[in-house]
Amino acid sequence: MSSLRVDAATATMISLIGSLADNKGALGRRYGEWAVSAPTIESAVAAAAMAQDELGHARSTYPVLAKLGVERSEETGLDAGHAMFVIANELPDWASFIAANLVVDGVLTTFVAGARDSSIEPLAQRARKILQEEGAHRVHAEAWARRIAAAGGEDLRLLVQRIEEMWAQAARWPGPDSDPGYQDAIAQGMVRYGPLAIRDRVRDWLIALMEGFGVSVSLPEPGDWSDWDPQRRR
Amino acid sequence: MSRANETVWEVFARQAYEEPLHHVGTVTESDEDLAVVSARAIYDEQPWIEMIIVPRPSIREAISA
Repeated sequence: MSSLRVDAATATMISLIGSLADNKGALGRRYGEWAVSAPTIESAVAAAAMAQDELGHARSTYPVLAKLGVERSEETGLDAGHAMFVIANELPDWASFIAANLVVDGVLTTFVAGARDSSIEPLAQRARKILQEEGAHRVHAEAWARRIAAAGGEDLRLLVQRIEEMWAQAARWPGPDSDPGYQDAIAQGMVRYGPLAIRDRVRDWLIALMEGFGVSVSLPEPGDWSDWDPQRRR
Repeated sequence: MSRANETVWEVFARQAYEEPLHHVGTVTESDEDLAVVSARAIYDEQPWIEMIIVPRPSIREAISA
């Protein structure tokens, strides 16, 4: 991927959009790997459908970078990006799948929701299409969380652990709220809200969801940003 | 994970407003929301304009087979 000199807001959006596509590509791979081993045949088919959605979102999001002056080779494919570490490799268990469905998908989709009316028109168009399809992903995640909570025991303990592990990385993806490039992007109408609002929305939703099942999860605000990489967003 | 006590949902769909809903298959899920997700994922081979699911226990026979 090549880049050019741009203002701080555009540089931040290039990083966010490229990383969004990288993570959606990785999420699609991870969902797809469970399409042959989900606990039920119905969820295996749902995993395949969600994989297809995510890979489609990645493919349709990369071209937005060209509108911001970034050239990306068509041959680069969907495996060359820098995804969050928690979804960079095969998910070890079904609890991880549901945690990724809840937390990683949740953070990315909340960012996309803030870009629905973006001044970057191609991003706004993709965002509206992505949000239509993400509704089913959220229903799937919430319903499986409910099912696992009802089962209780080790299944539930592992789900809570995986949610907290995924949060530790996914919460850092939007970056520090003080990022001047992000604040400029908001001021220019490229996105509607910033990193703190993304984390607050996802945290409020997840805590309310799990409390509804009588389960508490710890989703702290990230503290130390000294080693955060604004290009790879991790 | 046990599948005991799961519900069979009959799936109906149509491709055009002038068509009646017709039976396209079933899904087995205990959770109503997961049943909707499953039905949409499994029976996606046609460009449906409407799809509904009905829990089999709610169906009443007017004429027994």
